[in-house]
Amino acid sequence: MTRIDRRTFIRRSIQTAVATSAVGCLPALDLLALPAHAAEMPPLAVRKGQDVSLLVKETLHALGGMENFVKSGDVVVVKPNIGWDRTVELAANTHPEVVKTLVELCLDAGAKQVRIFDRTCNDERRCYTQSGIRAAVESVKSDRVSLEYMDRHGYKELAIHGGKAFDRWQFYMPVIEADRLINVPIAKHHSISRLTLGMKNLMGVIGGNRGRLHHKIAESLTDIASVIHADLTVIDATRILVANGPQGGRVEDVRNPETLIASPDMVAADAYATTLFGLKPEDVSTIVAAAQRGLGVMDLKQVRMV
Amino acid sequence: MKNSSWTYARKISQSFCLALFLWLFLQTEYRGIDQLPYPVSLLFRIDPLAALADFLAPGPFGWQVLWPALVVILFTVLFGRFFCGWICPLGSTLDGLGKVIGRGRRTFSPGWRRVKYYLLIAMSAATLFGVQLLGLFDPLAIFLRSLTLAVYPAYNYGLNGLFDFFYEHEVPLLSSLAKTSYPVFRDNLMAFHQPIFALGLFTLLIFLVIVLLEKVEHRFWCKNLCPLGGLLGICSRYAILQRTPQELCADCQLCDSLCRSGAVRESGHMRSECLLCMDCTGFCPEERVQFTLRTGADNDLGVDLQRRGVLTAMASGVMLAPVVSIGPVTHEQNPYLIRPPGAVPEEEFLQRCVRCAECMKVCIGRTLQPALLEAGPIGLWTPLVVPRIGYCEYNCTLCGQVCPTGAIAPLKLPEKKKNVIGLAVIKKDRCLPFAKGVECLVCEEHCPTGEKAIVMEEKEVLVDGELRRLKFPKVVDKLCIGCGICETKCPVEGASAVRIINEGESRRKRAEFLAGPYG
Repeated sequence: MTRIDRRTFIRRSIQTAVATSAVGCLPALDLLALPAHAAEMPPLAVRKGQDVSLLVKETLHALGGMENFVKSGDVVVVKPNIGWDRTVELAANTHPEVVKTLVELCLDAGAKQVRIFDRTCNDERRCYTQSGIRAAVESVKSDRVSLEYMDRHGYKELAIHGGKAFDRWQFYMPVIEADRLINVPIAKHHSISRLTLGMKNLMGVIGGNRGRLHHKIAESLTDIASVIHADLTVIDATRILVANGPQGGRVEDVRNPETLIASPDMVAADAYATTLFGLKPEDVSTIVAAAQRGLGVMDLKQVRMV
Repeated sequence: MKNSSWTYARKISQSFCLALFLWLFLQTEYRGIDQLPYPVSLLFRIDPLAALADFLAPGPFGWQVLWPALVVILFTVLFGRFFCGWICPLGSTLDGLGKVIGRGRRTFSPGWRRVKYYLLIAMSAATLFGVQLLGLFDPLAIFLRSLTLAVYPAYNYGLNGLFDFFYEHEVPLLSSLAKTSYPVFRDNLMAFHQPIFALGLFTLLIFLVIVLLEKVEHRFWCKNLCPLGGLLGICSRYAILQRTPQELCADCQLCDSLCRSGAVRESGHMRSECLLCMDCTGFCPEERVQFTLRTGADNDLGVDLQRRGVLTAMASGVMLAPVVSIGPVTHEQNPYLIRPPGAVPEEEFLQRCVRCAECMKVCIGRTLQPALLEAGPIGLWTPLVVPRIGYCEYNCTLCGQVCPTGAIAPLKLPEKKKNVIGLAVIKKDRCLPFAKGVECLVCEEHCPTGEKAIVMEEKEVLVDGELRRLKFPKVVDKLCIGCGICETKCPVEGASAVRIINEGESRRKRAEFLAGPYG
């Protein structure tokens, strides 16, 4: 099995794009949407447990360990959902313990640097604190780890080749330039995309007027996901929000499946997460659009449960 | 000019107080703790004019908060206007900037000195009759307002520009220095978000006028216009800290030209005008001048206020109230007149607010903006919630914490979350699902109430001749608190498709329907 890493992926894409445009034109060729994993059956790990830290370790172990994703000397971005000024039990943000354990596993795997950030919806200082993620990250006590506020210089407009909703968008370059991206959403209800999972979580590393993406949510998120490739998606379903999402605010809307879903295939992970809400992957338009675009596998029979 | 040790002590006190106020000012920002330990509003606890405003406003006097102001009054009665010379941040700023821009040596007609007393009398009379404008002239409010709305935003803008420059252009040494020092600045010395205020320039111009008056006469503002100076002047007429010699010496007269407040005359030393700067103890060539504690020996009580002037000032103050009150009801005139959560009813709000702008300084969502005429003719510089610029953060209670006069009551978080400041109204001619048949839910997504005050209703509609199922946002009136995040985040460009109006605010008391059309 040949895995291509982020750098190679981007380099190759750009090289091919340059080559293509040099040759003349082949507009029909959907270069960046070339699926990285679709050819084989992507592994998918699902574990249950109350001890969050142990749960993360077991789930990653099932995928062959963090070493499978993070190489020594890598710069890793861990992207949790820290979007809201809400406490842990309200299930609006990724569980701080999930973030912390993933960060520790990255360090153990030899990561040179682990960066954590999110473009929040409420005030970022409040979100980072209230979510518990600031305290969790600080408790790792490593100078290789940083919880960062988004840097306003970090956004750059990139072309989205083969984009169906947009031909360009502002992306946060530290994510594009990192060696590895670990996408760590929390599974939540959402009124338009129905659920917010891995794909929607990538909205936290783009710039621009994000509200506009909702007009064509499925194609827009697929466009974004065609540019930002997550090496690993870990869906936090220790607590999930079943109504009044994505922000929540009521304990009544929270359920506790105590589950973690992880896969190198973001679409497969998202597809599995739908089942926790009593839905099917095809009920969520973003998943369908991404699968059609070849970004991953949504048919749960086509994944390798590990 | 020789300085005495008293002058040095005064300068140290001025520098120390100014530094302390600036430090407090920088602390008046959310830095990860929900309850601010050192808000700059502490400054107003020593402000006798704020105490006067509070005393004349409806409701009981805020003893627990404002007792330090009474201590200042007591000390002023005993020792004179030490506050003006030793503590006042505006006075210290004028002393400092006056040195920079150069000072005028003109002496104005002594009649000008009366203006501050007349201003004080007129404002107090107006306040008594329900129109409080003391804050417009309060030196502490002027100082903080100018700092908050103009100087601090400009300072942040400049620093950010500097950091940006070193970020974008690789300058050896300096660029790396800028990169490493930026977080230190951001977390301690700068605003986290660049402050944005519509009245920045206007506020700065007024501040500049006060500063430029130094060109005319040293401490022109303090001597002639400052109503707080007037109040402290009245209190210090019989101070027991007295100067000897009281009057100008026949052989010298240096005090006449050098005294910054022109307090020494042929007829004696005006304690109500003396700022106790103590310069004369230093520059007196014969070292004659001394300040000692004693009573009696009053041969100059200070400015003669003239009965006619006092009556005129009082009458104009009294006149002001009915003229303002017969104006139209502001919240009906302007449905977008929205006040911060915890604001007391509008009439009392205007009587309490001293326009210090501290709520605007601390506002985390940058929604609080100074009013020009939006709140009526006397609402200048009072805080408005302007949701297209920013929104009221659901879990934040900072504005109530910093308000020095109770115009914004300090609410506990659970109360604050229920405090209604307005109501979201969806403009169907702008809102995407209604106007364009396009999916959108950004307002619903951001709505912070636990049970959302904006819900999506699915309906089948005809869009361009084609039947489509679409979700439409709908405001649940009884859940909406008017925080305005929907208006801030609405992705429609330009005017938002959802706007907050002041309907249903908690502070406006009225009978409610038990159930019914608005339920």
